[in-house]
Parts: sequence; C-alpha cells; structure tokens
Amino acid sequence: MIEAVLTGAVAGGTSIVFAGLGELTCERAGVINLGTEGSMLCGALAAYVVGINTGSPWLGVLAGIAAGALLASVHAVMVLHRHANQIAVGLVVTFLGTGLTSLFGQDYVGKGVQPLESWAIPGLSKLPFLGTVLFDHDPLTYLSFVAVPLVAWGLWRTRAGLILRSAGEGPEVLEIYGTSARKVRWIALLVGGGLAGLGGAQLSTAATLNWSEGMTVGRGFVAVALVIFAGWHPLKLAGGAYLFSGAIALQLQLQARGWEISRYLLESLPYVTVLVVLALLSNRRIHGGPAALEKVFEG
Amino acid sequence: MTAVDAPGAPDAPDDLEPDAGGQLPTPPPIGPVDPTTATLLDEPGSLAAFAAFRHNRIVRVAVRWVVLVGATIAIFCAFLLAKGAQPDEVLRSMWETSLGSPDSVGETFIRATPILLAALAAAVPARGGLFNLGGEGQLLLGAVGAFVAANALDGGASSAVTLVCMAIGGAVFGAAWAAIPAVLKVYTRTNEAISSLLLNYIAGIIITWLCFERWKDPISLGQAYSRELTGGERFPIIWGNRVHLGIFVGVIAGLVLWVILRWSTWGFKLKVLGGNPSAARRAGLAVTGLSIAAMMVGGAMAGLGGMVEVAGTEGRLRPELLAGYGFIGFLASWLARHDPLRIIGAAVLLGAIAVGGSGLKITAGLSGGAVNILMALVLFAVLGWGRTSESEGS
Repeated sequence: MIEAVLTGAVAGGTSIVFAGLGELTCERAGVINLGTEGSMLCGALAAYVVGINTGSPWLGVLAGIAAGALLASVHAVMVLHRHANQIAVGLVVTFLGTGLTSLFGQDYVGKGVQPLESWAIPGLSKLPFLGTVLFDHDPLTYLSFVAVPLVAWGLWRTRAGLILRSAGEGPEVLEIYGTSARKVRWIALLVGGGLAGLGGAQLSTAATLNWSEGMTVGRGFVAVALVIFAGWHPLKLAGGAYLFSGAIALQLQLQARGWEISRYLLESLPYVTVLVVLALLSNRRIHGGPAALEKVFEG
Repeated sequence: MTAVDAPGAPDAPDDLEPDAGGQLPTPPPIGPVDPTTATLLDEPGSLAAFAAFRHNRIVRVAVRWVVLVGATIAIFCAFLLAKGAQPDEVLRSMWETSLGSPDSVGETFIRATPILLAALAAAVPARGGLFNLGGEGQLLLGAVGAFVAANALDGGASSAVTLVCMAIGGAVFGAAWAAIPAVLKVYTRTNEAISSLLLNYIAGIIITWLCFERWKDPISLGQAYSRELTGGERFPIIWGNRVHLGIFVGVIAGLVLWVILRWSTWGFKLKVLGGNPSAARRAGLAVTGLSIAAMMVGGAMAGLGGMVEVAGTEGRLRPELLAGYGFIGFLASWLARHDPLRIIGAAVLLGAIAVGGSGLKITAGLSGGAVNILMALVLFAVLGWGRTSESEGS
C-alpha cells in the first residue's frame, strides 16, 4: 500500500511540480501570478485538442506550453504595463482561462486522446520498490525530476538567475545596472506560464486522458500556496507538491480498501494538509520571500 | 504625464478619497495635483479648439469608456467567431435573457444579489488592505447556516422570525468561515489570499457531503440535494414567478456598509489600516482586532448571500450551488473599487452577464461558462484602463 501511495504521489504531483516551478519563477522575479490556474487549464485543453487533431501527444505538449505562456502574457501586460493589482488581475486571468477553455473545450469533452505512454526505464524500473515508485512513469514526469534541480541551479548558479532574483529583490538596483526589471519580469512570466501550461498538458494527456471543464480543480492555486510554503525554493516545492498529491493518493487507496472513514473527510485531506502546513511554516517564511512581493501584499 | 501614471500602487491612493470627511486630516498630495492644467501646458498651441474639446473632462472620459466598451465587445465577438458562432445572434440572445423583458430583468436582479453580497465580502477586507478570495466558500457556509437555523426552528416560529433567524445563522456561519484565514493571518502571518482560496475547496467538499449523506433528501431518488425549504422558510415572491423579497437584502446591506465605511470611526480606522498598516500600528490602532473584524464582517455578508440563495431562489442545497459566484463577487468589488454604492451597480452588470450565459447556452448552443470571458474583459478594461481616466492626459 505504501508503494501504491508513493507511486500515486509521484504521478499526480507532476502537474503541480511544473505549475509550482512556473509560479516560483514568477515570484522570484517579483510578480505573483494567480493566473497559474488559468494557464494550467489552457495548457490542458490546448494539449488535448492538438493531441487529438494531430495524433501526436508531443505536439500537444508544445501547444500546451504555448497556451499557458500566452495567457500569462495577458497578466504581464496588465501588471507590468498597466500597473494593475497583481492579485486581482491574476484572478481575472484565471477567469479568462476558465471562460476560454469552457468555450473552446465544449466539443472535446469525453473524446479520447492518444496518451503520452509511460516509459519504464530499462533496468531501473526493475529495482524493488523504488522501480515502480520512480521509474515507471510518463516522460513528462521524468522531465519534472530534471526540471526541479535545473530550476534551482538556474536561479542560484547562473547570471540569468541572479538577474531574475534581483528583479524580485530590488528592481531599482537592477535598473541602475542598466537592466530593465520589466523585461526580466516579462520573461519570467512567459516561462512561468509555459511551465504551468506544461503541467496542464501533463494532466490531460498523461494523467486523466480526458478533458472536462475546470479539470484542474484548484491545482494552480495549490501551486501558488506551495511556493510560499516552500519558502520560494524549488526542492521544498517539489516536496510540497508530492505531499499534496500523496494525500490524494492516500485517500484513494483508503477508499479502495474500504476503510470506514467518510470519503468526504478524506477528500478534504489534501487541502487541509496544505493549509495546516502553510500556517505552521508561515511565521518563519514571510521574510524569506522576494522583497518586491511583500509590497504587493502590504498594498 | 507618466509621473502620475507610473507609481505601482494603483489601489492605495484611490481608497484615500480626499472627500473622506472634513474632520479628517488629508494626506499631503503626491505628484502633480491638477493633471488637467499640467496637460494643457504639455499641449502644443495649434489645434487649440480640438485640444480644448479633447481636454473637456467629460468628453475625454466618455470617449475613453466608449472605446473600452467597444473593445471589450469586439474582443468577445472575435472569440465567438473563432468558435464558429454568430456574434450578433449570441449577443442578441444574451441581451434578451438578461435585460430584454421584465422577467429577464427580474432574473438579473435575482442573480445580482449573491454577487452583490459576495462583492461586499471582498470589499470590506479590501478597505483594510486584506484580500478575501474566500467568498465562494463563505457563500456556501452561509447557506448551511441558514439550513441549520431552519432545521432548529422546524417550522415552530412565524415566517418573519424564521427568516431573521436563518439570516443570522447564515451570517454567523459565513463570518466564522472567514475568521479562519483572518486568524491565521494575524497570528501566524499566513497569506490570507491563499488560505481563503484553499478554504473554498474545503467548503465545496462540506456541501457535497451534506447533499450526498448528512442532509440528503430521503425522497430525492438518487439526486443529491437536501430537503426543500418551504412556507415560512422562504422569502415571499413579490413579482412574477421568481423574484422574491430577498433581492432587497443585498441592496440594504450595501447601503448600510456604505454609510458605515464612509461615516463611522470604524470605517475610517479600516481605511487607515488599508492605506498604511505600519502607520496604523504606530498610531495605536488595534490592528489585530480590526483585521479579524473586517474579514468577519465580509464573511457575514457572503453568508447572507448564501442564505438569500437558499431561502429565496433555490430552496435547496445542491453540490453546485452558487458555483463561481464568490469569484464573480470578488470581480465586482474590484470593478467598483470597493465602494459599496458602486458595487450595487457592478453586481447588476455582472449579474446580467451571468444570466446572459444561460441565453448563450439555450439559443446559441454554446457553453454557458463562456460568459466568463466577457466578465474578464470588462475587468481588464476597468483595472487596466479605467482608473487612469482622471489622472492621465490622454
């Protein structure tokens, strides 16, 4: 049972890991993007539709990334050029995403998509326990294993990462050195939206193999919560994402085994877990965040 | 004129309206005080008549809004065309379902009421600089609170007493649900925007549980909903088949809050907190109590919204009750810049669009959720281009 829960945690956590990495990138550059939920939905639908129409799930994944980035560019225009409130705009962007996917996804509900097949990695997947948990998944899940340390390395070990973090810590300083903070944030938002779209694409073409309206059920918002709970660090973020999806997997396993606990209590477990951990860690975390973000919340 | 436009604090200055009451010290003005004169100086001397016309404030604002409304509708139509629908047909059906006849206007008022109350739930905390994204869950808990009160009375009181008790039940449950993010914010510094957002999903699960198990109607034959509220537990119908007395609850709440926020000491303290929290703390305001109270008053408003929905329009708890209305309320609050009077108008506008969604579904065969696009576009227009109309030169 532990094996099944952990496998489920890894498989289900992938979409949240990608969305969370995207949100982390944006927030490190000083922009909070509640449009992540919308970008995930757009990514999920675009990947699904392109996957069906071309027969190639990989083209679908690319379309998902593009759709997520496109929606995030709306956030960029509103926040970076029109100076509108980031939280309000983010929610409106998500609203736009739900509307667009509702309009264009209508004819695709319940149509089968060519799935992204899972690849059992030769050799490694035969390992006892770890083999099933880690090495028998779809390719995007392996990509997420690589993406987490890659983002951490990129943010802290490269010049581009330093510039991106500077946009979140002291945009004025960055301007003095001749780099436009607005430009950096634009790039961060496009990358972030693309990653959220990738997460959505994984959800529709590798996990659920289906499209339904609002199918992300708050995963994008959970990703935003996880970024804060992870203290804006990619490795802890991945831990949080697996904790959330692990709670979902645990609930499914307990239900399947006929435990005498209300399924509704179990269904709320993932959200309650995130909320409780967030509350426990927040006191220490608030000052670990990018300085420019605090301005958003302090009004 | 970029000096006026540029500072990235779009919400703070607006909330500190200069006419906030003569007895209050007005903050020192920042930047150019009179944008109109400044713009006139910028303008070259030629085309003076055209310039004078252009700088007539009313004309300028009117032109701006015509362009914004036109662009909003044009973009919406572009999406409809991309879907292969007939925009003129869609817009006409939306108009007919939402405002085209007395019955449809009534329907718009019915839909506007929970939006209005959810908007107040976002607006009161926003005055104090807090983000309440939990209107969705607070509406649902309000509906639960109303049912708790109705079940407790069990028809043993007059209609007026029952409805008042249900309203109190709804408000208390909504306020309690909103108190969770407020307390977490104040004592553990948990971001209230995120925690209130997550609580929506938990509230949704609670409602599903009540409808499928705890309060499932025994004669519902597989349908998941609660018993129907009847007789004295329902608002009387005042017009047509569906318009009920409950539509006044939102308007009255809006007016009362307008008075409180504008004229009371509490409203002023909240405004100070929203304008500059550290100054509020230094000035000796009880920031903790004020923040929690603001969120709870907001939650109570959304709770009333849930109560009006079950005691007036719906009569039952259903799992999909009011889905999306908390978020639409949040949008309405931002559309109205958190001013309760303007929120009444914003709620009617968004309520009309929401009702138009069912027209979209029935006559044009499109998904009703597509109206979210139109709502989002309206919000973008106002958040991005509406606010600068007074401070920008062109």
